[in-house]
Amino acid sequence: MNSKEKILLKIRENRPNPWPLPDIPVFESATPDKRQLFIKILERGGSKVCTVKDISEVNQVVSTCFPNGKRTVTTLPFLEGMEHTTSIQPDFYEGTELAIIGAVLGVAENGALWLTENELNQVRVLPFITQHLVLVISEKLIVGTMHEAYKWLGTPTAGFGVFIAGPSKTADIEQSLVIGAQGARSLLVIITP
Amino acid sequence: MMSHAKKAAIFNKDEARTDWHDASLWMVRQKRDFAVSEIPEWEFLREYASDIKTHTLSSLDTYLEAFEKAAIQNGATVHWASDATEHNEIVLSILKKHQAKKMVKSKSMLTEECQLNDFLAANDIEVIDSDLGERIIQLLDEPPSHIVLPAIHLKKEEIGELFHRELQTEKGATDPQYLTEAARHHLREKFHTAQVALTGVNFGIAETGEVVVCTNEGNADMGVHLTPVHIHSMGIEKLIPRRSDLAVFTRLLARSATGQPVTVFTSHHRTPKNEGEMHIILVDNGRTNQLGKPDFRGSLKCIRCGACMNTCPIYRRSGGHSYDATIPGPIGSILTPGIDLKKYGNLPFASTLCGSCTDVCPVKIDIHTQLYKWRQIVSEAGLPEGGNKTLMGILGNGMAKPGFFHRLGNTGRKLLRLFPGSEKLLSFTIWTKDRNLPKAPKESFRDWYAKQEKNEQ
Repeated sequence: MNSKEKILLKIRENRPNPWPLPDIPVFESATPDKRQLFIKILERGGSKVCTVKDISEVNQVVSTCFPNGKRTVTTLPFLEGMEHTTSIQPDFYEGTELAIIGAVLGVAENGALWLTENELNQVRVLPFITQHLVLVISEKLIVGTMHEAYKWLGTPTAGFGVFIAGPSKTADIEQSLVIGAQGARSLLVIITP
Repeated sequence: MMSHAKKAAIFNKDEARTDWHDASLWMVRQKRDFAVSEIPEWEFLREYASDIKTHTLSSLDTYLEAFEKAAIQNGATVHWASDATEHNEIVLSILKKHQAKKMVKSKSMLTEECQLNDFLAANDIEVIDSDLGERIIQLLDEPPSHIVLPAIHLKKEEIGELFHRELQTEKGATDPQYLTEAARHHLREKFHTAQVALTGVNFGIAETGEVVVCTNEGNADMGVHLTPVHIHSMGIEKLIPRRSDLAVFTRLLARSATGQPVTVFTSHHRTPKNEGEMHIILVDNGRTNQLGKPDFRGSLKCIRCGACMNTCPIYRRSGGHSYDATIPGPIGSILTPGIDLKKYGNLPFASTLCGSCTDVCPVKIDIHTQLYKWRQIVSEAGLPEGGNKTLMGILGNGMAKPGFFHRLGNTGRKLLRLFPGSEKLLSFTIWTKDRNLPKAPKESFRDWYAKQEKNEQ
């Protein structure tokens, strides 16, 4: 008998009586203004948030917030004059100062933004390896709770997906919060119409 | 082997440090309370989480097979390990297949349980723990003292000293920001040179074959996405049936653990990356035994948030290392006696049975009830922690005879009046070790009552 058979057999001998799987209601957020809550929670978690009136303003916001002109990589086709993801070799992106990526969903109750490898042009490492991260999200794509989020996401088609809720952080030394552990040192969220 | 009580006594000798440890953890507990207060349906979520886990355990065989099938369809390789040895051998065989000599690892209590690091080191593999807290204790050659905050027992001065020695930081530097920055540079180099990355798993989803990993530092993702081969080690109890169940668990986990509304990164790994390999190791290592114990199988619902540790008055004032178990604190004290009753039989006694652990548990494990039930088993097995049976027998006999008990009380009170502090003679029972008896009254209630009756007549 191999280990799989051994484990399954033992489970069948030892498992408890059947117990029903509950239907989980889609709890919705009570807040009337999801955008406002989204911003509040993001800022509380150490992120910066900027709202623009038109998608064409994204470039302007980025150059104001990050004026130093170091290596900037983007996955957004409408951003011109920047390095776009050409290679899928992860090491190629070490030294990226700033990555600008589109997110597909925002969650108001915890400030999390969802994106998959489709938005990353298969460069899964990009939002982690970059020194600073900018995520662009449409106001229309902000939902209230994680229940609404998973309902919206449905069955996955991408091989990798992640919720990002702020800059990389740690409190492993005496519970002192330090922003910028192994991943991005800052997160700027730009909300478009 | 030293019991928890003995190790805790040593920990308590440094009173200032004990107070500091207590306060650090209580702060985390308070953050949890605030985060919980933001969710009106919190108690419903706990109930749902408990039901989902109980249901999954009742059909674990079916869900494991469904998970395996989906994961294989996704292009992952699924391995099954009956015990720690088999798990470690599987990891080594994957490393050997790729001629890998260096592996980065993100936090995984399961690999601590399997003692993977020691095994790989003995096989000439360099393992780098990439979570900051884990890296600190790895460099110190210590086990984690908490499942979420592995280095919570250390002071920044000690970490500064360690980093000066190991990472060439400035001598005497203790600023957490500076020390974290040093570790960031040190670990970046490791992420780029390792050939394999290993992570633990927070949730495995049966319907999609995905593994979900929650971190704040981003270290798990740095490893997984930078190395060609990634391995996910997962205890079989980590399964949940549906992807939408993650809504319940992601809302509960970080709020319970650190008081954050969600972990910074919640990564869903479904397929290997382009030209990469993805391995999932399903590990039993005693879990199916625990499943067969009706009183204790509920402990398998645990999602490893650590809330029971942060709230426990014993854990906070004795430190994680006093438990001498991979998982310390209340949850560890009900998980480990099932593995080795003789070694861990003392742990269910490291509790006041106040029930705070049960109150904060996001999956409603009846921790304090299970602690009590383990005590019965330990006592029946005749282990010393079960209490002094002879003494209890004498006491029981004495208390069953009212006349004798009355005389014993009178004698005791007289002795205490004549020789204050003489209760210390009973310190062999440990009851009077850290507490004094109150001043003996002139007469007992019984004597006083008898007088009242006489007066009324």
